[in-house]
This record gives sequence, structure tokens and C-alpha cells, in this order.
Amino acid sequence: MKVSFPHMGNAYIPLSALLSNLGAEVIVPPRPTSKTIDAGALHAPEFVCLPFKVNLGDNLRALQMGADTLAMVSGMWACRFGYYGRVQHRILRDAGFEFESILLGREGVGAVYNKFRDTVDGNLTLSWLRAFRAFKRKAEAMDAIEKSAREKRPYERDRGSTSAAMDEGLRLVHEARGLKEADRALDGARELLDGVELEDVMEPPLKVAVLGEIYAVLEPSLNFDIERRLGEMGIMPFPVMSVYKWLFRPLKTDPSILIEERRARRTARPYIAYVLGGEEHQTISGTINAARNGYDGVIHLYPFTCMPENICRAILPRLESDFNIPILNLCLDEHASPTGMTTRLEAFVDLMLQRRRSRSKG
Amino acid sequence: MSYYRYFPLWKTLLEGSGAEVVLSRRTGKSLLENGVRHCVDDICVPVKLYYGHVLDLKDRVDSLFVSRVVSVEKADCDTYTCPKLIGLPDMIKSSLEGLPPMIEFVVDIQNMSLKTSAKKLAKDLGARAGTARKILSRSLDVQARYEAELLRGLTPEQAMEKVFEGGNGEHEGAAVGERNVNIALVGHEYLIHDPFISHNLPRKLKSLGANPILMSEVPQEVLEKELCRYPEISWSYEKELLGAASYFLGRDDIDGVMLIIGFACGPDSIIGEIINREVRTPLSPPLTTLVLDEHTGEAGVATRIEAFVDLIRHARERQ
Ligand code: SF4
Ligand code: SF4
Repeated sequence: MKVSFPHMGNAYIPLSALLSNLGAEVIVPPRPTSKTIDAGALHAPEFVCLPFKVNLGDNLRALQMGADTLAMVSGMWACRFGYYGRVQHRILRDAGFEFESILLGREGVGAVYNKFRDTVDGNLTLSWLRAFRAFKRKAEAMDAIEKSAREKRPYERDRGSTSAAMDEGLRLVHEARGLKEADRALDGARELLDGVELEDVMEPPLKVAVLGEIYAVLEPSLNFDIERRLGEMGIMPFPVMSVYKWLFRPLKTDPSILIEERRARRTARPYIAYVLGGEEHQTISGTINAARNGYDGVIHLYPFTCMPENICRAILPRLESDFNIPILNLCLDEHASPTGMTTRLEAFVDLMLQRRRSRSKG
Repeated sequence: MSYYRYFPLWKTLLEGSGAEVVLSRRTGKSLLENGVRHCVDDICVPVKLYYGHVLDLKDRVDSLFVSRVVSVEKADCDTYTCPKLIGLPDMIKSSLEGLPPMIEFVVDIQNMSLKTSAKKLAKDLGARAGTARKILSRSLDVQARYEAELLRGLTPEQAMEKVFEGGNGEHEGAAVGERNVNIALVGHEYLIHDPFISHNLPRKLKSLGANPILMSEVPQEVLEKELCRYPEISWSYEKELLGAASYFLGRDDIDGVMLIIGFACGPDSIIGEIINREVRTPLSPPLTTLVLDEHTGEAGVATRIEAFVDLIRHARERQ
């Protein structure tokens, strides 16, 4: 079985570990670029949300690279994401590709569990356990590396050195086979990151919460790698979500994530009374928390026509005045350009600096 | 946005409780423009329209009646309408200034019956328990009659006229087969029946000698039977579109199907694709998709419809 799945940040690292432990050959398409998006947009319905187009582009690449199975989560949710797998796979079949689908969530756990009966030699349950352990270990390593890079970047002496160390560290983890090797890879990655030269900065960096539609927040190809961009502008980004949480939230194995979700819903309730099916509670509560914790601003990212975030977008100006915190809305689509983004970020940074200065004066 | 679904219920309920019902004016250019100006740019047209209607009303009333439609069917699995219908009151509340107090009508059939919702509303309006019960049963009654008229093929406008004014709603030949070209319309009713945004689509079809068949004529059982053939959908209104499309596309007395979708409508972008790819077969009558937004000109719509009707007529002549 040659299996592939669409990109979501660095999620391919733990997911590859999971699937290869189940005896599948994993095909990881190259990181999405504007070409991927264009290819996806060509086959996608015209005004479907951007993540759909990127995912479709990833799948196309994977099929061209020889994948014979495509995996995707899918389900009965209030938002479009639940239909991605179904519609994308149909589009690809109509375009003449032949492949097997794994639709996690729609097919039930049992069906997915059994899909790997032929690829595993030996006991299936044991393989799943082993695969899950590897998945978890690598997800944790990935999260630790991302976090450490995020904290270092604003202080780095040579611009780009943190990201270089991070990429190298992630590569080590991705290539590690087995748990022991993964641990060693994480140590190696830590060393690399510790080796990044830092310098003293005059003022503490601006603190910015980054939130919005989950894919727009976590997938660098969609948001022009905003986390890195901000870090290299000397700003400390605080993403409200992480790939790690995104992977583990539906598994319900980590109580702290569930508690945090519930808390977010509660904070958001005065503004959004019902579940809308996206990250709306994180967006609203993230903004409120950012203001309460004294952040300098909030960056709200969402794909063009994204339903839950459109609603948030209508509510955020109210939060901006209720909680007195500046918010930058960035709407992403396939025509967005990195220069446009830079200009808007720079203007926003100026605004935040000004506010900080006038505050410390007054 | 649920005017075409629940207005008879609301009206009876509100008037019965002693309130005077003031409706926003019919959609027009300035109303829509006003809505667009106060709205998020990339939101769907119907929400922009709704904003326009709210703005039209806000200075003329003492309180504003808004609906929040969360779920409209009782099922074992989760069902929803659309995130925007669920979050509509939240959006309005947070983004418009100077609104009168709001009365919120929540439809959440998954968790409470329509009757409970109506009861809540009557209570909010301060009706006494005794009268409340009477008003309640009368409004549910009117609502049921309205829905029955829709099933007979009346447009919402005709059906309302009939229910409220006892007119006969001039039921002009909506039965399948009477005119020479039967065109089924599949799409959200707040698009198709808004005379401004759809540029009077049903009437335009009639003037071309075609016979528009509305989705609201298809009984619930038929929709459900059709839906069994496809994997589950969680959006109830989109299920109706899918079921109706599947029903119409499988009939030989329907000459064409028009799928009317709103620009930037999230669920439609998915369901349109599913209808085009999973439902349509080589034997189906022709299917065309018409995307409406605030910039769609009257002429554009007219041309599309004429072309579609011509196509059907030509195809028939050739046979
Ligand atoms: S949350 Fe937004 S981007 Fe994601 S599926 Fe829904 S509409 Fe699309
Ligand atoms: S179903 Fe479509 S048109 Fe209706 S509110 Fe939702 S997004 Fe807008």
C-alpha cells in the first residue's frame, strides 16, 4: 500500500511514523506551493474554501508520485471540512485516477483498523499500538522543536538561523526509525537549536496572538509562514492552536486539550452562543485572553469565504473596542501575495509599537 | 432569512401576543447596498441581504425579531443548518450599532420541538399562560396550512396570501406537464424567491413559456427516499437540495433542472459539486448552475435562462 495524505504543517512527521509502522509505504508530497494551489484550484469548485484547493493539490501530487491510497479525515460536521475527503476523492476519480480511500471518521474505526490487515505481518493490534506510540513520540518531538524555535526566533543574531536549525532538527526526527532513534533525534535537534546565537534586545518583543481558521493558522504555505515572518521581525507570536493539539484533540486522549476546549467555549459564549463547527470559540476566546494577558495585538487569519471565521470577523471589531486590543484581519486566497502581507504586517507592527509607547508614557 | 419558512408562524404568534408586526421593505438596490456596506466582504449574499433588512427596520421598530436556526430535524446524528444561520444573531448583535432590543427565536429541533420554541417566544412576549396556549395552537395551525399550500406548488408569496387573506392564491397551472417546458428550481428559497436577488427568476421562466417547478412541492417522504441513495449529509437544508435534485434529475417529465446557488455560500459549494458529480447521470435532464451575487445583473440572469430554455426546446425538436 502506498498511502498519502494532504499536508498540515509538520503533521506529516508523526503521520508518516504511524502509517509506516502499519506496514504502508508513505508518500509525502512536497510542501505545497502556489503551484500546488493552482493545480488544486483548477479541479475544485470555484468558491470552495482555500484549504480544499490546497489539499486537492497535495492529493494530485501524491497520485502523480505513485500513491495508490489516499487518507483523509471526514465526518458529519457543521462545516465544509467534513466533506473534503468525499468530494475531493470523487473529483480525482472523475479526473481518471484510481486509488483506495481511507476516510477516517466516516468509515468507522473498525473499518480503518482492518484496512491494514494485509500490510502488517504479525499481530495487527500490536502493530497499531506500536504505530500509535511512534506517532505520539514524534508528535511530541515535533511540538517541542516548533515551540523552542518560536521562542528563540525574535532574539536570533543571524536572521534565519533558528529556522535553519529547526528544519534540520525536524528532518532528523522525521528520518528517525524507532522510538530510541526518535529520542536521540530530538536531543540532536535541541542541540542544534541551542547552538543558535542570540543577542540582547533593547525592548521585550511585541507579543501577538495568532488565531483564526485552523488550516490558515497552521499551514505555512497558506499564511506565507507567518510565524517565521513575525519572529524574524522581532515579534513573539503565540499561535492559539498547534499541529500537536490538532492531531490529538479528536483522539480525546489528552485531557488538558479537552479542558482547554471547554474553557474556550465558555469564554466565547457571550459572543457566540452555539457551536458553529470551526475554530470560532478559539478565535473569540483567544482574542479575549490575549487582551487579558496584556498582548500587543491579535492577528486573525482565515481563508476567503470561510464560514465560521466570517462570523468571527463580524464580531471581532466589537471585541477590539470592548477589550481594547488591535486586531489585524488577514483574508487568504489563492491570489494573496507575500508582499501584500508584509506591507500589512509592517503597518500593524508600527501601530502596536505606537500603542506600547503611548501607554508606557501615559 | 427564514421568512419563507416560518413567517406565518411568527406573524400569528406575534400578533396574537399583542405585538404589531412591521416587515422590512422588499429588497431593493439601496437596501442591499446598505447591507453590503455593514457586512464582512466575503460573506454570502443572503447574509448581506439580511443585514440590509435589519438596517431598514432598526429605526422603525421597538424591538427586532431575529431567528436563529440551529437544527431543523430530529436525527440520531448531528445535523445543522449552516454556521451562518446559527451565528446570525451573534453577528448582528456585535456588528451593528444602535439596534433596538432583540427578540430571538431559536429553532433547534434536535434539542427542542418547534412548539417549545414558540412557547418560549410567547412567554418572552408576556402572553398569559391561557392565551398563550390558544395562540400557540393557532399559529402552529396556520404554519401547517402554509406548508400544505407550498406542497401544492404555490410560491411562498401566493401561499402566504392565501393563508392570511383567504384569497385563492391564483393557482396557475403548476401541475407537472401542463406547459411545454418544465424546469425544476433547486436552491435556497431565500435566493430563489427574493425578487431582487434572483431577478424574479420564477416569473421570468413563466414569461418564456416555461413552467417553474419548486422544490417546496416535493414531499418530505420523497426527499428522504432519494437521500437514502447517498452518503449522509449533516446540513439539513442542503439535504433538501440534494434530495430534490436527485428526484428531479431522475424524472422524465422534468425537462431541465436549474441549480441556483449564492456566491460565497459554503454549503452550496460542496453540495453543488456533489449534485454534479454523484447525482447527475448521462440519462438525466440537462442541469445548469446559476450563481447569484449582488453584482449579478438582470440581463445576465435573463440571458442564462433564455439560453437554457432554448437549449431544451432545440433538443426536443431534434428528437
Ligand atoms: S472552517 Fe472555513 S476553511 Fe475550514 S472547512 Fe469550514 S469554511 Fe472551509
Ligand atoms: S446556506 Fe449558504 S447562503 Fe445560506 S447562510 Fe449559509 S452560506 Fe449563506
